[in-house]
Amino acid sequence: MPLKAKVLIVDDEERFRLTLRKLLIANGLDTTAVGSGKEAIEELKQQPFDVILLDVKMPEMDGIEALGELKKINRGVEVIILTGHASVDVAVEIMRLGGYEYLLKPCPMEELLAKIESAYERKVARDERMRKAEAIQTDQAS
Amino acid sequence: MLKNSGYSLHNLYPYAATILSIALAVVLWLSKEIIGGSVALVIAAISFLSARDLTREVIKANEQKCHLDQQLIQSQKLAAIGELSAGIAHEINNPLAIMGQETEWIKHLLKDNNIEGPGATEELRDSLQEIVRQVDRCKDITHKLLDFARKKDPLMQGADVNKLIEDMARLVDKEATQKNIKIVRDYRKDLPRVQTDPPLLRQVILNLLNNAAYAIGKDGVITIVTRQSSNTSIELVFSDTGCGIPKEQLDKIFDPFFTTKPPGKGTGLGLSISHSIIVKLGGRITVASEPGKGATFTIHLPAQPSRGEQ
Repeated sequence: MPLKAKVLIVDDEERFRLTLRKLLIANGLDTTAVGSGKEAIEELKQQPFDVILLDVKMPEMDGIEALGELKKINRGVEVIILTGHASVDVAVEIMRLGGYEYLLKPCPMEELLAKIESAYERKVARDERMRKAEAIQTDQAS
Repeated sequence: MLKNSGYSLHNLYPYAATILSIALAVVLWLSKEIIGGSVALVIAAISFLSARDLTREVIKANEQKCHLDQQLIQSQKLAAIGELSAGIAHEINNPLAIMGQETEWIKHLLKDNNIEGPGATEELRDSLQEIVRQVDRCKDITHKLLDFARKKDPLMQGADVNKLIEDMARLVDKEATQKNIKIVRDYRKDLPRVQTDPPLLRQVILNLLNNAAYAIGKDGVITIVTRQSSNTSIELVFSDTGCGIPKEQLDKIFDPFFTTKPPGKGTGLGLSISHSIIVKLGGRITVASEPGKGATFTIHLPAQPSRGEQ
């Protein structure tokens, strides 16, 4: 079943983000790719995304700082960290800031697609719950 | 820095104290006529016994200190290995990830059986070339790492440092001129010849000049100064008018894998290799920088009377 998630790739490694974008599009995902945390923030202000694939080691603004800022703009967006740098401390910090998953590069395509799907399902479920809660509140108010 | 204690003067103190105490005991015994035989004997015995106990305590404390020093060195080594492993993992995992994706893309193209068009063939070729590029990137990292780890004992020869620098400056000059980067030389004429390993020093100089040119990019000046800082040392100064180094990065600049270059453009090993070479040559390398105003790297080398000059 093709995924419908809207995905944003944030990685300073140009070839990585461009080929990953092509692969995700080929798998039916509406995908945008940017090269820095700052660009990601600007992009998320412009349009909503369901899942963000975020690198950690980037110049100017690292992934941890970017994650905090992205969550401020859209708390519901699911963020999957995709990094070549394995560190327990970083993983703990990512989870504390509300990151969905922490994946180590190189990550097999099937596994990545499965994680995106699972993050997307969570996002949809959460959105649905929020809609229901809002509907109840509206009913109670009227 | 920690040093193995070995036979330092410090270690001889307890033995000296024992000898002095025994000497005191002997003097007291000899002077028993004056202060009384039994009193002298008691004082001599007490001073001998307390000196012996004190000596034992000092030796024990010294042994404990050596043991703790060794433990600390071992834990520092382990920490360094951990840090290095994380750096290697990051630098190798990124090209591996790209290779994996390019392979996935090739599989995707082949699966659709849609590789007859010129566009698809071109994409296949491009993906394969990218894999080759990333293999080279990994090779570059592992080769530099091996270079970093290999024990290279310097082969010391007398050398004219001004000439060594000039040879490397000429190499960089051609490319620098194309980018409108001027190399200004201020060599001290009567600089003493030094005992050094010329190929290793050339490697460091070339690395510093390349870094300076990279930091400038276009339109700027690299200034090379050589001077005698004291009777026993010389300084080689490389300044550039490039982007400079942020204050918080100055401490990390000689760390393995630390780089400010974009991914794939630098391994972050050049300056750490340069640092280890200069230490092997008996010198040190320092850096100063003001962001936006460039950086200055200074190599301090011992200047000794040359033997068997080349």
